Amino acid sequence: MIRKVRKAAVIGSGIMGGGIAALLAGAGVKVQLLDIVPFDLKDEEKNDPIARNRIVKSGLDAALGSYPSLFFNKKDAGLISIGNLDDDIEKLSECDWIIEVVVENLKIKRELFTKIEKVRKTGSIVTSNTSGIPLQDICQGFSKEFKEHFMGTHFFNPVRYMHLLELIPGADTLPEILEFIAAFGEKNLGKGIVWAKDTPNFVGNRIGVQGIGATMKTMTENDMTIPEIDAIFGPALGRPKTAIFKTTDLVGLDTMIHVLKNSYDLCPDDEQRDTHILPDFINKMAEKNLLGNKTGGGFYKTELTPEWKKIRKVLNPSTMEYEDLVRPSFPCIDDAKKKSTLKEKISCVLNGDDKGAKFAWKMAVNSFLYAANRIPEIADTIIEIDNSMKWGYNFEMGPFETWDAYGVKEAVERIEEDGFDVPANVKEMLAKGNTSFYKLENGIQYFYDFASGSYKKVPVSKNMVSIAAAKGNNKTVLENKSASLVDIGDDVFCLEFHSKMNALNLEIFEVFGEALDYVDKNGVGLVIGNEAGGMPGAFSAGADLGVVSKFCHDKKYAEIYAFLKDGHKSMQRAKYSPFPVVAAPYGLVLGGGCEVCLSADKMVAHSELYMGLVEIGVGLLPAGGGCMNLWKKYINALPAKTAKDIDLAKLFVPAFMKVGMAAVSGSAAQAQGNGFLGQADRIVFNRDNLIGEAKKEVLKMVDDGYVPPAKQGLIVMGDAGQGMVNAEIFNMLNGKFMSDYDAFLAKRIAYVMSGGDVRVGSLVDEDTILKLERDAFVDFCKEEKTIARIDHMLKTGKPLRN
Amino acid sequence: MRDVYIVQSVRTPGCKQKKGLFNQTRPEELISFIMKSAVERTKNLEPEHLDDVMVGCAFPEAEQGLNIGRVASQMAGFPDKVSGATVNRFCASGIEAIALASMRVQMGWSDVTIGAGLESMSFVPMTGLNPRPHPEFSRTNPEMFISMGITAENVASRYNISREDQDIFAANSQAKAAKARDNGLFTEIVPTPATKYVKQEDGTYKKETFIVEHDDGIRVSSAEGLGKLRTVFSAAGSVTAGNSSQTTDGAAATIIASKEKCDELGLEPIAKFVSYTTIGCKSDEMGVGPLYAIPKVLEQAGLSIDDIDIFEINEAFASQALYCIRELGIEKVMDKINIHGGAIALGHPLGCTGAKLTATCLANLKEVNGRYGIVSMCIGGGMGAAAIFERL
Repeated sequence: MIRKVRKAAVIGSGIMGGGIAALLAGAGVKVQLLDIVPFDLKDEEKNDPIARNRIVKSGLDAALGSYPSLFFNKKDAGLISIGNLDDDIEKLSECDWIIEVVVENLKIKRELFTKIEKVRKTGSIVTSNTSGIPLQDICQGFSKEFKEHFMGTHFFNPVRYMHLLELIPGADTLPEILEFIAAFGEKNLGKGIVWAKDTPNFVGNRIGVQGIGATMKTMTENDMTIPEIDAIFGPALGRPKTAIFKTTDLVGLDTMIHVLKNSYDLCPDDEQRDTHILPDFINKMAEKNLLGNKTGGGFYKTELTPEWKKIRKVLNPSTMEYEDLVRPSFPCIDDAKKKSTLKEKISCVLNGDDKGAKFAWKMAVNSFLYAANRIPEIADTIIEIDNSMKWGYNFEMGPFETWDAYGVKEAVERIEEDGFDVPANVKEMLAKGNTSFYKLENGIQYFYDFASGSYKKVPVSKNMVSIAAAKGNNKTVLENKSASLVDIGDDVFCLEFHSKMNALNLEIFEVFGEALDYVDKNGVGLVIGNEAGGMPGAFSAGADLGVVSKFCHDKKYAEIYAFLKDGHKSMQRAKYSPFPVVAAPYGLVLGGGCEVCLSADKMVAHSELYMGLVEIGVGLLPAGGGCMNLWKKYINALPAKTAKDIDLAKLFVPAFMKVGMAAVSGSAAQAQGNGFLGQADRIVFNRDNLIGEAKKEVLKMVDDGYVPPAKQGLIVMGDAGQGMVNAEIFNMLNGKFMSDYDAFLAKRIAYVMSGGDVRVGSLVDEDTILKLERDAFVDFCKEEKTIARIDHMLKTGKPLRN
Repeated sequence: MRDVYIVQSVRTPGCKQKKGLFNQTRPEELISFIMKSAVERTKNLEPEHLDDVMVGCAFPEAEQGLNIGRVASQMAGFPDKVSGATVNRFCASGIEAIALASMRVQMGWSDVTIGAGLESMSFVPMTGLNPRPHPEFSRTNPEMFISMGITAENVASRYNISREDQDIFAANSQAKAAKARDNGLFTEIVPTPATKYVKQEDGTYKKETFIVEHDDGIRVSSAEGLGKLRTVFSAAGSVTAGNSSQTTDGAAATIIASKEKCDELGLEPIAKFVSYTTIGCKSDEMGVGPLYAIPKVLEQAGLSIDDIDIFEINEAFASQALYCIRELGIEKVMDKINIHGGAIALGHPLGCTGAKLTATCLANLKEVNGRYGIVSMCIGGGMGAAAIFERL
C-alpha cells in the first residue's frame, strides 16, 4: 500500500486546530474540521445545524481573520469542511490522518479517542497535538492496531509560521507510520522535524519555559527590570527581538504558566524544578488578568493619547503599576551591536563585566547545564534540542551551538570556577579531546553524540542541499564580501548573496557577471539562492539604498546610469544565457531582489514569500528589469498569439497597480495571485529544501534539453495605458489616497511599463523598455523628494509619504 | 410644429447590479420586453403603427452594443419597417431618447415613436468595458475623466453639504420608496421576466425564467446607521455607498404619438411633452447640472418653478441632489420631489434613468392629480438635462 493523505481530520478548532487546518489546506489536503456542539443551545436551536456548528464555525472564522494570516491564501478555506462531533463523527472514517487538538485534559482526550477508535478506518493515522500530556496515558487500553497507528504531532503556534514539528513516537507506533508522518511533515507541510521522547512538554517547551522560568526567578533576585531583561535577551544573543517578556505577551501568560506548571508537576526529579516556580508578581499578573496582548496588557502595554499617539508602557513588578518605557542600555549590548557575526556578539555579551553581561552569563550557564542534563532524558541528541529552540522559539542558535560559540572548554572552566557542576557527558567529551559539539569537515556537518561518545554526521534530508556545507567543503569558486559562487554539485552552481539583508550592491553585480562567465564555461546551470537566517529571513531586501543615496547626494547621475546598465546587462545575460537560471526566493524578496527573481528562467519559491516591487515607497521605480519583466510575466501567461487580440488593459492595469501601489504578497500563493509567480514557477513548503529543489529544477531543465528563450519584442499597452492611469490617478489624488509626488512617480512608472509613447499593441524591444527604466530612475534621483524618501527610509526604516 | 402626446410610459423594476434579480438577464431581454409591454398596454395601438425606436444607453457596447435600438425592436417582435437607433448622453440617455422621439413626431417625420432607456450595469459596468482616456488630453484635462464619486465629494465640500444632511436625505429616500412599494404606488412598473441559470442534479445548467415585480434595492435605514458607513471615494470625504445612487439594471419605455395619430387610432394621451433642454457645467462638479437645466427649461416653457407639481430629480448622490434642491429654492416643497424615493433607494441604471423617471413622473402626477412635472438629472462629463411634461 502506498500511504497518502487524501483527507485529514482536525478535531478542535481553537487557535492551534484552526492553524493546523489552514496549513493542511494550504498544502492542498482536504480537511474535516470538527469541534463540539455548544453546551448552551436553546431548545429551538437543538436541531439547527448552523447553531450546532457554531463553535467550529467561529474557530474557522478566527483562523481566517487572524493576522498575520494563518492561511497562505483565504481561498484554501474551500478545502475545509466543518462539522461537529455529534453529527459528523462518521466522517472520520474517510480520513487518512486524524489529528486531535482538543483541550489539555486527559479524560476528555481519552473519551474522544474512544469515539475515534469506533469510526476510524483501519490503518488510518491518529495523532495528538498535546503539548504536555504523556501519550502513554492517552492511549492506554486501546487496541493494538490503534496504538500502532498512534503518535504525537506537536505543532507550534502560529502553526503556519513556526517551523518546528515535534514528533513523539508512542511505545507501539509502527516505524512506517513514523517515517510517513516525518516525510509528510517535512516535505508537504514544510516543517522541521524534531524527534522527541514521551516526556512532559517534550523538547522545545521543556527547554524553552525552563529558560523563561529561570530568567523570571533570577531577575527578581538580581533586581533587574523587565526592559533590561528584554534588552539583553534579544538579537545580541541571537534571540528574537521580542526577547523574553514581549514573547510572553504574544503567547499569553496563562499558556506560559500552564506549561511551567506542567513541567513542575510531572517532573519531580528535575534538578531545576525550583526554576519553574514563578515569582509572586507573575501570579499577581495572572490574577489581575494581565495576560498579554490578548487582554490588552501584560508585561507591556500600549496606550493611545487622544491624538492617537502610541505610548509604550511597561510593568513595574514592585508596584504592579505601568510606567513609561525607557529603553535601557548596557555597554556589552552596545558593543555587541557593532559586531558582525553572532559568535562575536555572544562572546561580547557573555564576557562583558557590566550588570547585564553578568546576568546574561548566569542565564547562559543555566541553559547550558539544563540542556546537557536533558540528554538522553528528553531526546537522544543535541541536535533535537538545538533545532527545537531554533524552530520553536526562533533562536538563531540553540544552547549547544551557543556553547560552541562561546567555546566549550572556556565555558566549562568558568562554570566550574563559579561553583557549578558540569554534566558528566560534557566533561567526558572534553576529556576525549573534543572541544566542540559540532564540527564541519569536508562540507559535512558532525555532531557529538553523547551516547556513543563520538562524532556522527548530522542527518540531512535527501532533498536538502546546503550552501554552507558546500562552502565548508572548499566549493566556493568566486567570492567577495557580498556574494559568492558556490559549486553545489552535479555541475550546478549557486550564486549566493551574503550582504546585510542581502541588499544588492556593486559587489554582488560584480560576482553576478563573473558567475555567468564561470558557469557558461564550467557548469550546466545556475541557482540564485541563499540561506540567510531569521523568520521569515530575507532573500534580498532590495538594492543597497545607502549607495543610491550617496550617488544622489553627489549628483553622480552618469554613475547611476552605468550601474543600472550593468545590472540590466547581467539580468538579460542570465535570461538569454545558454544554461538555465533558477531563482530560489524566500521570505523578503523586495525591489531589486524581486527583479533578480523575475529575470530568472524559473522560480522555485518558498511558501513564505513576501515579494513585491516596492521602489515607489522610496521615490524610485524598479530599474533592474522589474517593470519590464513583471509586464512580461503577465503577457507570457496568455496562450499563444492571444496577446495580439486581447484587451491589454485587463493585464496592464493590475500589473501597473502592483508596482504603483507597491503590492507585497503575504505568501507564495498570493505572489501567484499577484502575477509574480507564473505557471512554470514552483512553490516549496520546506525552506530547508529550497536550494535542493532549485538545483533539481536546473538539472531537469538541462535533462529536457535546455535552450534559452528566443529574444522577441514585447507587446505593450502604449500610451493608451497612460491615458487610463492619468485618469485613475486624478481620482486617487482627489480622494487623497496618494500625494502629488506619488502621482508624479506613478505616471512615469506607467509610462515605462506601457513601453513609452507608442501605439497600443506595438511590439517593443526589451532593451527599449530597459532604457526607459534607466532614464526614469535617473530622473527620479534628481528629485529632492526622492532623496528625502531614500534618506528617511535609511534613517527610520519606514517610508516617507511626501 | 405639431403637438406630441405621450400615450404610454412604463418601466421594469430596478434591480441591483451583480447581486440583484436581473444579474443574469441579458439587457436586450429587458428592453425588448418593456417596449413590447408598452405597446400591448396601449389601447388601439399595434406594433405596425410604430415608425421608429430610440433607445438611450450610456454604455452601448458588448451586450448593449450592435445598435441595441434596432436589436430590441426586432426582439420585441416589431415589424421590419420599425427602425431603431441607440442614443447616448450618459445619465440623460433615456430622456434624450424620449426627446428625440418626440422631436421626430413634432417635425412630422414620424407619427408614432418609442423613446426608451436601458442599462444593465451587471453586463456592462460604468465606464464600459474598454475605457481609454486620451493620453495627452488626460494629462492636461484629467477632470474630463473624473470618477463620479469624486465629483460628488467636490459638490459636498465646495458647497458645504454635510455628511449628516446627506445621510438624512438618503434615509428619507429609502423610507419613501419602501412606503410606496408597500402601498402599491409604483403603478408604472410592469412585472418583468428574468433569467437565471440553475444547476441541475446532473451538474449541467438550465436557463429558467421567473418574474420580478419590485425594485430590489430598497433598504430602509436610519441616518444614524448610514452615518457609520465608510467613505468610498475620498479618504476624508462624506460620500458613501449609502448616500449614493445604487448601480442598477433596468429598462423603461415611453410611447409618443402626434395629436393626429391619437385621433385617428383612438389613442388616449396621458401627457404632453412640453419642453426639454441640456446645459454644460464643470465636469469636476457635474452634479450641479440640474441647477442650471431646470431654470433653463422652465424659461423655455414660459413656466415658473412654482407651477411644477412633481419633480423627479435623479439622486446620483445625496450631496448633489440636495445642493440642487436647496439652490433652486424648492427644499420647502420636498413633498413634491421624488415622492416615491429616488435613485439612492431605487437605483440609477444610467442610460435607463431618464426613461424610468419619465414613467415615474407621469405616474406620480396622476397620483397627486398634478399638472406639470419635471424630470432632471446631472450627467457625467459635466452636464444637466431637464424635461417638462404636462399631464392631460
